[in-house]
Amino acid sequence: MGLLDKLSGWLGLRKKEVNILCLGLDNSGKTTIINQLKPANTQAQEIVPTIGFNIEKFKSSSLSFTVFDMSGQSRYRNLWEHYYKESQAIIFVIDSGDKLRMVVAKEELDTLLSHQDIRSRRMPVLFFANKTDLQDAMSSVKVSQLLCLENIKDKPWHICASNAIKGEGLQEGVDWLQGRLSFIYGGLFAYTYTLI
Amino acid sequence: MIKKFDKKDEESGSGSNPFQHLEKSAVLQEARIFNETPINPRRCLHILTKIIYLLNQGEHFGTTEATEAFFAMTRLFQSNDQTLRRMCYLTIKEMANISEDVIIVTSSLTKDMTGKEDVYRGPAIRALCRITDTTMLQAIERYMKQAIVDKVPSVSSSALVSSLHMVKMSYDVVKRWVNEAQEAASSDNIMVQYHALGLLYHLRKNDRLAVSKMLNKFTKSGLKSPFAYCMLIRIASKLLEETEGGHDSPLFDFIESCLRNKNEMVVYEAASAIVHMPNCTARELAPAVSVLQLFCSSPKAALRYAAVRTLNKVAMKHPSAVTACNLDLENLITDSNRSIATLAITTLLKTGSESSVDRLMKQISSFVSEISDEFKVVVVQAISALCQKYPRKHSVMMNFLSNMLRDDGGFEYKRAIVDCIISIIEENPESKETGLAHLCEFIEDCEHTVLATKILHLLGKEGPRTPSPSKYIRFIFNRVVLESEAVRAAAVSALAKFGAQNDDLLPSVLVLMQRCMMDSDDEVRDRATFYMNVLQQKQKALNAAYIFNGLSVSIPGLEKSLHQYTLEPSEKPFDMKTVPLATTPITEQKTEIAPVATSKLPEKLAPSRQDIYQEQLASIPEFQGLGPLFKSSEPVQLTEAETEYVVRCIKHTFTRHMVFQFDCTNTLNDQLLQKVVVQMEPSEAYEVLHYIPAPSLPYSQPGSCYSLVRLPDDDPTAVSCTFSCTMKYLVRDCDPNTGEPDDDGYDDEYVLEDLEVTVADHIQKVLKPNFSAAWEEVGDDFEKEETFALASVRTLDEAVGNIISFLGMQPCERSDKVPENKNSHVLFLAGVFRGGNDVLVRARLALGDGVTMQVTVRSGDETAVDVILASVG
Ligand SMILES: Nc1nc2c(ncn2[C@@H]2O[C@H](COP(=O)(O)OP(=O)(O)OP(=O)(O)O)[C@@H](O)[C@H]2O)c(=O)[nH]1
Ligand SMILES: [Mg+2]
Repeated sequence: MGLLDKLSGWLGLRKKEVNILCLGLDNSGKTTIINQLKPANTQAQEIVPTIGFNIEKFKSSSLSFTVFDMSGQSRYRNLWEHYYKESQAIIFVIDSGDKLRMVVAKEELDTLLSHQDIRSRRMPVLFFANKTDLQDAMSSVKVSQLLCLENIKDKPWHICASNAIKGEGLQEGVDWLQGRLSFIYGGLFAYTYTLI
Repeated sequence: MIKKFDKKDEESGSGSNPFQHLEKSAVLQEARIFNETPINPRRCLHILTKIIYLLNQGEHFGTTEATEAFFAMTRLFQSNDQTLRRMCYLTIKEMANISEDVIIVTSSLTKDMTGKEDVYRGPAIRALCRITDTTMLQAIERYMKQAIVDKVPSVSSSALVSSLHMVKMSYDVVKRWVNEAQEAASSDNIMVQYHALGLLYHLRKNDRLAVSKMLNKFTKSGLKSPFAYCMLIRIASKLLEETEGGHDSPLFDFIESCLRNKNEMVVYEAASAIVHMPNCTARELAPAVSVLQLFCSSPKAALRYAAVRTLNKVAMKHPSAVTACNLDLENLITDSNRSIATLAITTLLKTGSESSVDRLMKQISSFVSEISDEFKVVVVQAISALCQKYPRKHSVMMNFLSNMLRDDGGFEYKRAIVDCIISIIEENPESKETGLAHLCEFIEDCEHTVLATKILHLLGKEGPRTPSPSKYIRFIFNRVVLESEAVRAAAVSALAKFGAQNDDLLPSVLVLMQRCMMDSDDEVRDRATFYMNVLQQKQKALNAAYIFNGLSVSIPGLEKSLHQYTLEPSEKPFDMKTVPLATTPITEQKTEIAPVATSKLPEKLAPSRQDIYQEQLASIPEFQGLGPLFKSSEPVQLTEAETEYVVRCIKHTFTRHMVFQFDCTNTLNDQLLQKVVVQMEPSEAYEVLHYIPAPSLPYSQPGSCYSLVRLPDDDPTAVSCTFSCTMKYLVRDCDPNTGEPDDDGYDDEYVLEDLEVTVADHIQKVLKPNFSAAWEEVGDDFEKEETFALASVRTLDEAVGNIISFLGMQPCERSDKVPENKNSHVLFLAGVFRGGNDVLVRARLALGDGVTMQVTVRSGDETAVDVILASVG
């Protein structure tokens, strides 16, 4: 690595890399969301249920995201925890039309938040209340009530209504995430700025 | 394994293998950097290499640590470094069976397999198929079908080969890919075509008709790939053998035509197939042999090697065809490739005359130290064959062997020599003492426990019967002083046999035993104490039962019975007769030398076939309370080859019952059979108690149904019976492609061949290494004797063979071999009768006008004696 590269890294010109976990029940739209966020030329045409996980990359204006898009089927959910330690943020996707399984989603969320590798960390959690285009979809407010999101005190969180098929609402979420992550790493950035 | 590497490295001055001192725990510690971002591909690659190296060295990874390393590795999928990714595929394959939840990488692999990067696609398919089970296979089925017909050869080949592996596990799913495989079979790529043919064959191999159609099609249309041709030849010759097709069959013509193929590999394959065929005439053999002959003088070493190796293998079967090549073989004796030279010499040894033996042996001694162990074993095998052919040469051979025994060499080699010496001893009584002396010398410095114990066992068996038994005692006792526990224990057992058989040695053996009782090892002490106590009784019967002949029960069976006994405490002493017998009789030290490749030592006591049956039957509620399984017969075919249904029967004998297990296969792909039973009509007072149906028999998937029969109580000597058998079932027609059955079915039946129960089904073979001791032990309380004339039998050999197979008993003291040019012979047979009593038979045979036979039977139970005499008469 040349000096210039190093310098540009300090200056934030080279994008900071972050690891994100994308979680949520099966069929909630995780893979569809991540696919939308990828550069247009690398997007998959066809989305199938994930078995295990997929790793995808995309960039926002200042960060470079590496996303572990996990499978949401019940028999694979116990595998999520293998990836908790090394993640800096979580995207949790909910199917707003699936009233029946909202309790399941809540249960998984509670288990996640009380896990020893997550519990004590101030990592940002972004919720997508997805599939808002569905006729009987619940509002994001309703979803956050059902999930009791107001009880999350020790982590910054945010909920966005989204339609992953059209890509609506996704950018808002990513912007928030970028903001939170830059805030957390902000100390470092601030330091480099003072050097200039 | 690891040891071996270390040794080599020390010799070559060390430093050659950078991985030689790897510590598993340190490597796993390093593997934590997989979790770091950004990923450093070069370092990660190095660590994965270490992990795979350790796995390949046989290092044991616990499930937890393996799983942890595996999941850390999965994070490496975020790197796009090609080498690293391919290393991940390798790691996945290596760890597929030791880590948990390996399916976590399914989607990632699916993505690579369908992605744009061709270098990823093939390996991703192979890795994916390693971690996929039947349930998951459905999810990737679509991709597999596409991959099979992919235009990139490496992708198509990978998919085909992986499918082939999965046929074993998910036949039904893979079967649906036949059309894709067909398409791949017409590929221009020689590997793809070969792999496609392989898959097609494996999907059809249980259906002879389909195989023969396939052969027909490809032999007509022709193939591009020489590999595929070779495979076709193999399939064709297998089918020829199975169908016992004559050599006028089109299949033979096809193989024969391949002798004129322009590719040498195909020509060789065809020649090899022909010379290996049973009952080939000289005329059919000739073109194949002349091809091999031509190869013998080829400038290509591989061809010379292939040709001479094949000639070597068939030398005993077709000596005259092989002697036709003698001149060419002589030229190869001095071939610079030692493997070729060895094979040439040993072939000549097999076919040559007695007079050429000395010359050839001299030639071979000149370079025997230069060839690898594997070929030394070939030499030993040739010597062994030669000794059988020219018994008079045994002293030359014995000399040669004892020199070889002193040279360096690995286990397989040493074992081959020891086996060969033992077989010479057994064939030629006059060579016994020399042979034993060589072996005694060998165990003075022998690093192979297995061989040392084997030789000690032989010394114990043969030593006491030689003119001067005392000279072996020193060699045996040296072992007690110098060797490892296993060898010491074997030495103690050998000593005991001398004490039991030679009264004048007994006092000194007792003194030595006394010293062994102070050994540091439990097993050695236990044996010594046990033998000491038995020997002190000075009773022939005790010696016979506990020192010469030992236990004949199945060890896993004994363990189970004892466990059961401890669970249900009872006043009654434990009864050995309730323990199932060991089935594969511990054969006497055999003459044959097993081919090197197959002769792996079993790591631990594997359950025998009968132990497995015992488990299976015990799990069926109707068969509870039948007691221990006494004997399971070899399968008896009840249908002719190539019929709609294939049925074979295994007869399981219990103390008072028999269970008939019918293994049925339905070879009609348009039928599903249900509720299948085999109805049995006995000719005697046998009573059928229960039928247990096979619930369903889909096409080509074997299933079993059972019948439970009670043996006649009132006449215990009525042991033989004929059953007429009819298979009854409900047929549901079904679509041959999908296997989907119609809603209704109809009853139908199918007549099977008669099933015989004979005296052999009631007797289990047991080997008594010392027959006369056993004979004394059983005593003459129920001895009976009768004389029979076997009018239709012409030779003693034939008589002996007939009696053994009729009674199903174990020949002892090698009495199944009739010495040449004798007109009388004594046959000793041992067995256990249903219920647990030993039965011994001594048959004196005399050749006159036909064969006269005087049979003496002894047993602890009169019924057994009567049964034998009744069934012989
Ligand atoms: N109507 C509607 N359908 C959506 C939306 N997002 C995703 N889907 C559909 O929902 C289905 C499931 O989407 P996936 O992205 O595979 O869901 P997932 O969460 O990754 O599921 P798993 O991988 O099984 O855990 C697909 O058929 C998508 O087309 C949305 O916003 N609106
Ligand atoms: Mg998904």
